[in-house]
Amino acid sequence: MDLETITEYRPAPGAAWQPGDAWLGGGTWLFSEPQPGLRRLLDLRGFGWAPLTESRGGLEIAATCTIAELARWRPGGPAAVAWATVPLLRQCCDALLASFKVQNMATVGGNICLALPAGAMTSLAAALDGVTTLWSPGGGVREVPVIGFVTGPGTTVLRPGELLRSVTLPDASLRGRTAFRQASLSRLGRSAALVIGRTDGPGLVITVTAATPRPVQFRFAARPSPDEATAALDRAGLDRAGLDGAGLDGAGLDGGHLTWHDDVHGAPAWRAAMTRRFVAEVAAELRE
Amino acid sequence: MQITMTVNGVSHTRDVEARLLLIHFLRDELRLTGSHWGCDTSNCGACVVWLDETPVKSCTVLAAMADGRRVRTVEDLARGGRLDPVQQGFAECHGLQCGFCTPGMMMTARWLLDHHPDPSVAEIREALSGQLCRCTGYENIVRSVRWASEHEAAQPAGGDGGTGRQAGER
Repeated sequence: MDLETITEYRPAPGAAWQPGDAWLGGGTWLFSEPQPGLRRLLDLRGFGWAPLTESRGGLEIAATCTIAELARWRPGGPAAVAWATVPLLRQCCDALLASFKVQNMATVGGNICLALPAGAMTSLAAALDGVTTLWSPGGGVREVPVIGFVTGPGTTVLRPGELLRSVTLPDASLRGRTAFRQASLSRLGRSAALVIGRTDGPGLVITVTAATPRPVQFRFAARPSPDEATAALDRAGLDRAGLDGAGLDGAGLDGGHLTWHDDVHGAPAWRAAMTRRFVAEVAAELRE
Repeated sequence: MQITMTVNGVSHTRDVEARLLLIHFLRDELRLTGSHWGCDTSNCGACVVWLDETPVKSCTVLAAMADGRRVRTVEDLARGGRLDPVQQGFAECHGLQCGFCTPGMMMTARWLLDHHPDPSVAEIREALSGQLCRCTGYENIVRSVRWASEHEAAQPAGGDGGTGRQAGER
C-alpha cells in the first residue's frame, strides 16, 4: 500500500528517533494498512544483525530475522543434539497466517511487536521463556520477558522510540520436550487457539496464545495429568485466588482472570473449548 | 533518493520518492507491466516477483528496500522466443483465465518447480496459498503447474527443459 505521508526513508543506525518515525523490518504489515501518522521509515537492516546466534546461553534471534530464516534454521555443534525444541520453531512459523512469500520478508521482531493474539512468534518465544532486549532512544537497554511484553491485542510494553533488538531463548528452555496444538477456521488460517506444552525439568510449562488477548502461562512443579492441567484453566477462569490457592503461576491473566479473545477468527466459547482440549492433550503427551 | 537494482538481468538506476513501492517502480518507472497491482494489502499475490531469488509480494516492499538487489519479474520467464514450461502449462491447461493473477501465480510456480521439480497437488496448492484467483479457477492453475512439472521432467538429461536457457542460466 502506498503510504502517502512518508517523506523519508533511511537506515536506522545513526537516526535519532522522533514522533512520526517507524522502525522498518520486513514491512509486510506496515505496507498492508494505511499509516497516516508516519513520516519517516528507519530501516533496521542497516544494523546488519546476524539473524540467529547460538551461544552457551541459548539462541539469540535478531528482530530482523525473517520468518523464513527461522523456519530453515538448524543448530550446529552440541546444540544440535541438546536442543530438542527446535522442531517447534518450524511449527510456529507454519502457524502464521502468511504464505512463504510473506515469510520471506516478514520478521520475527515485527510479528512480536505487532502483538496480535495469534502472533505465532510471540507464542514461540513466550513458550520458551524468551527474553526481549529493548533499546531506548537515549541509549539505554532493558530486558523484558516475552510473556509480559505483549499486554493485549496490538499493545506492548514498548515506550515511544524504543526498539526491539532481539529475543533470546534460554538454553534450558531449548532442551525441553514440547507438544504443539493449534486450531484455526481454515488449515492455513489465523490461529484461534494455540497451546504449547514444554517440559521443564520435572515440571511442565503450558502457554496459551491466540485464544487469549495476551499470552497466558501456567507453570506446574510436577507433570500434571490432563485433568489437573484443565483444572488449572478452570481455576484461572474463576479468580486469581483460586489460581494462587492451587499453587499455580498464571502469568498474563488480565485482572487475575482468564479472558478469551473475540474476533472474526473464532468465538470466545469455541476458543475456550479448544484451548481446554489442547491443554489436556499436551499434558497427556508430555506426561510420559 | 537514488536507487540501483538489477531487474531481469539489467541494471537500472533511478531517483525515486522514499515512499515508492517496488510494484510501482517496476510498472511505472521501468514500464514492466507484467506484474499486476491488485489488492494493495498483501493479500492477493498478483504482484509476486522474485527478490534475490525468493518470491515476495512487491506491494509490501519499498523500491528503496530493493536497492542493490536483484529482481525477477514475469517478463523474464520466456527466453529466446520460447515460453517457459510454466507459461506453456498455463496456456495448455487454461490456467490463464482472466489473466490478472497470472504473473504472480507463474513466478511462484517457477520458484516451486526450481526447488521441488515434482510437487504434489497439495504442495502446489500450499505454495500458491496467499494468491487469489478472482475467477476462482484454481483447478486449472494447479493443473497448469503439474503440466509444467511433467513436461520439464520429460526433457532429456542435459536439455534445457524447454526453457531455452543455457546451463547455469537462471
